[in-house]
Amino acid sequence: MKTGKQRTLYVLKNLLLLIYAVFALFPLIWMILISFKSDTEVFTTTFLFHPTLANYREVLIRSDYGRYIRDSVVVSGGAVLVSIIVGVPAAYALARYNFPRKEDLAFQILSYKFAPEILVVLPLFMIYQKIGLYDSYLGLIWVYQLISLPLLIWVVRGYFEDISVEIEYAAQVDGYSWYQIFFKMLVPLIKPGLVSSALLAFIFAWNSFTFPLILSSNKVYPVTVAIMKYLGTDSAHYGQLAVASTVSALPAMIFALCIQKHLVRGLSFGAVKG
Amino acid sequence: MAAKKKSNEKSDLNKVPFSTRVRPYMIVAPSLIITIGIMVPFAMAIWYSLTNYSFKLPNHKFIGIQNWVNMLGDASFWGAVKISVLYGTISTVIEMLLGLGVAILLNNLNNGLSKVLRVLLVFPLMIAPVTATIVWQLMLNSSVGIVEKLLNIFGVYNFPWAAAPGTAMMTVILIDVWINTAFIILLVLAGLQSLPKSPFESAKIDGGSAWFNFINLTLPMLKPSLYIALLFRFMAALQEYAIIFALTKGGPGDSLMSLSLTAYQKGFKFQKFGAAIPYILVLWLIINIAAKRIVNRQRAAQKQAAGLEE
Amino acid sequence: MKKLLALMLAGVMLACSLAGCGAASETPAPSNAGSTEKQTVESSTPASTASEATGEFDWKKFDGEEITVLFSEHTYADAVEEKLSEFTEKTGIKVNYSSMPEGNYFEKLNVELSSHSGSIDVFMTGAYQSWEYATAGNLEPLENFINTDLTSPEWKYDDFIPAVIDALKWDLVPGHAVGSGSQWALPMGWEVNILTYNKKILADHGINPPKTAEELLEAAKALKEFDGSGTYGLAVRGLPDWGTIHPAYMSMYSTWGAKDFEIENGKLVSKVNSPEAVAMTEYWVDLVKNGSAPQWSTYGWEMCGADLGAGKAAMMWDADRGGYTQNTPGSSNEAGNMAFGMVPYPTSAGKTEADMKSNLWVWSMAMNADSAKKEAAWYFMQYFTSPEFMLWSGVEKACTDTPRTSVLEDPAYAESVAGAEGYYEAFSTISKNASIFFTAQPYFTETTTEWAKTLQYLVTTDKYSSVQEAMDELKATMDELVSDLEVE
Repeated sequence: MKTGKQRTLYVLKNLLLLIYAVFALFPLIWMILISFKSDTEVFTTTFLFHPTLANYREVLIRSDYGRYIRDSVVVSGGAVLVSIIVGVPAAYALARYNFPRKEDLAFQILSYKFAPEILVVLPLFMIYQKIGLYDSYLGLIWVYQLISLPLLIWVVRGYFEDISVEIEYAAQVDGYSWYQIFFKMLVPLIKPGLVSSALLAFIFAWNSFTFPLILSSNKVYPVTVAIMKYLGTDSAHYGQLAVASTVSALPAMIFALCIQKHLVRGLSFGAVKG
Repeated sequence: MAAKKKSNEKSDLNKVPFSTRVRPYMIVAPSLIITIGIMVPFAMAIWYSLTNYSFKLPNHKFIGIQNWVNMLGDASFWGAVKISVLYGTISTVIEMLLGLGVAILLNNLNNGLSKVLRVLLVFPLMIAPVTATIVWQLMLNSSVGIVEKLLNIFGVYNFPWAAAPGTAMMTVILIDVWINTAFIILLVLAGLQSLPKSPFESAKIDGGSAWFNFINLTLPMLKPSLYIALLFRFMAALQEYAIIFALTKGGPGDSLMSLSLTAYQKGFKFQKFGAAIPYILVLWLIINIAAKRIVNRQRAAQKQAAGLEE
Repeated sequence: MKKLLALMLAGVMLACSLAGCGAASETPAPSNAGSTEKQTVESSTPASTASEATGEFDWKKFDGEEITVLFSEHTYADAVEEKLSEFTEKTGIKVNYSSMPEGNYFEKLNVELSSHSGSIDVFMTGAYQSWEYATAGNLEPLENFINTDLTSPEWKYDDFIPAVIDALKWDLVPGHAVGSGSQWALPMGWEVNILTYNKKILADHGINPPKTAEELLEAAKALKEFDGSGTYGLAVRGLPDWGTIHPAYMSMYSTWGAKDFEIENGKLVSKVNSPEAVAMTEYWVDLVKNGSAPQWSTYGWEMCGADLGAGKAAMMWDADRGGYTQNTPGSSNEAGNMAFGMVPYPTSAGKTEADMKSNLWVWSMAMNADSAKKEAAWYFMQYFTSPEFMLWSGVEKACTDTPRTSVLEDPAYAESVAGAEGYYEAFSTISKNASIFFTAQPYFTETTTEWAKTLQYLVTTDKYSSVQEAMDELKATMDELVSDLEVE
């Protein structure tokens, strides 16, 4: 049973968490509230108002919104997928093998994050136009690697490094193939790192604005660029903007919900560290 | 034990057949190939910085380091460096501390509240920075904002937030913290939840307070993850411009003109692209130096943590 | 009114004579290379002024062509988008249309144009931007097409309101006023900058709609916090970019008799520290500090309109469209309460109603000089600036700031804007004296950004001990910015 001191500590912890939660979540709630307000009520009411679905209708049905979401899903999802396929083995190699210039290579990959987008976007624009990648899914997926790959590799490398090499040797000795070792044993152990960095990479790719603005035009139109159009032209439709942003955040929210159970490291083969 | 292993591997390297030696490079190759393409635009950008490339002129010509000289002589350049570093550092530090604290609380408490919040607290990151800034701007607005109404209850009226030079920086940092603490929380939480149980079990047998365990067990094992989070967050914070641009476009006056924003304004608004590049390259350099330092510490922490876990 | 009518009659007469005997038009001669090194003026049809020998204009001449159009998100663009299929049906020209949100539109456009690849054939631009694009050689001089046999006789170039169409003409010499030179773009819609006020709030507080600058200052100060904290008298923009200078500030600046630049010894010299300029700016800083939004320096047109519509600002001085759209039913809390004034003039500086000057903004469409499909692009442009289309968009599609006299005079149009009290009158009156009061030069963006920053310093900080000091420093900065321009 909890002592008095333990109980106050417990209450304190919950309180602190709650305070932060209010800070973090209130603007989101407020934004959702606005999405249900008509233009006349956006500024003059707070919690009591006449809810309307007009904004939702305007954004989701009347405009091309579904298509923007689709483009974003294809480009961001595709980018993260490529990063995982290419990055996880790379992370493994950087964790396990000891080869010359290893740290330099790792740093090199990291260095792609040093270059602000605005530095490279203009030359990229010209290059893309020349090689025909302008306004294409492939073009954006490729460029998004700069956003997702370094994060994925570095986080996952850390998780690989935490796994003692002896486990692999032991499994090898036991006769398991590299395929089995990798997928059945290693991957569950790096799951928290993999899914958290994949989610983050997805979010960053999704929210990327400069690249899609400059490097694509009307064939590929991710939702981050399109959201700005709901600000309207003669008068700002904040309610519509709220709808567009809320719905735009949904895929990432769904992704986050799905990975929750994977955030806890899996145990397999009875392999526990140490 | 780990050190001995490594030296064994090194000496074995010479006896290892070529195909095995080449294997790591082969595995890393795709990542490199995919991203090496960025070197070309990077080199192009450097080239442009040596010309008077501007959208307004039909042609551009080589002018050597004139753009660089102009930048160093520009009074606002040093201000921009200061603003970039200040913004990057303060927001990252706040986010690290806050994120670490919240992640620990989430990990520590195992009740319904924490389980729900584990998912919900990542949501602020999912809102595009520009939209988040607009939402905050509306909330902080002195005419129609809800935060203003809240402050009125406490007798505070017309707090300037982003409209006055003295409070503009703290406003953008506030928004940055709101969005990005989630990043730290997620990474640290993942790290916390994958810490091995055995060291803690041994510690329990040995006795010792929770705080002692935290400092001497949790923290060192967590450090590699912490450094990674710090690294990526700091790099991004130094480059941040979307929030500042959406909020005040760099104003009031020059109070928020960071290096990114200055380069953006010069390059995309004033269309003097050649003159804008040096500013970003300086930013690139700052990030490079900072990253190197943090990476070195991360590698050291990684080794230390591996030792602890053996 | 009478002046406009006379002009229209003259225009109609001229148009008739033009169609009749194909005499030399009154459009200015095409500009020659001038200060641009690269000017590709290619057109498969000779730039002649031959008229239509036979009757019918061949709309299907470029059947099968495809053009790419990039517009900024706007009501004008929406109207165009709606009629795209009709256009394709009529001409057989396929249109690859895309639009970008206004806030990022010019960045995108700049990048596209800078590559000189001709990827975009027709795009939207504003008058100021066209100075920059024309200097860079991105714009095709349209007189190559107007009054040639590529233009339908029903198009009626002279039907455009003179102030508006002239705003898009420039001879590429920095310092020379707009109004002569090549026709760089065609107007889609335009805005004058007049006072919008909430007549209910003003009446409730016993304030008469201000007509002079002094009355405006008094009213704005009296209305500070008229309904508690956060409410104020006059909404004006305050962000550090050209948008803060161009609507209200520049209108009053010019009304006060001040100029931004003058030509001295073949150089552009900034006049922002002249006595009138300083007097006006002192007035403005007083107005903003004591009568405008507490967070003025972060205000763009969105927030100004939002405050007006929410009943937090009693008045707004910005684009007429901004006030108009807050007034249409269902658009805001205070919809229906707005009325329109004109440009407050400073009696202290001896100005009268006749001196009212409004700066104007023209959304227009231009043709890419690197386009490979210029004729088809021209067909697009003339279709969507035709009297027929503009009457439709003006009456049905809320494109209320029409650039065509015929639409302005049309009873259906007058009726459609009748709901906004004073709007029609203000718009018609002010449009006579409206012009672009900025000196045409390609560093417009830089100079106005510095200008806006100076205003911000004056309002939010104590950096300068006096307005004169601030303007002196601004003058030096502006002189430096334009120092490499060659003026005749």
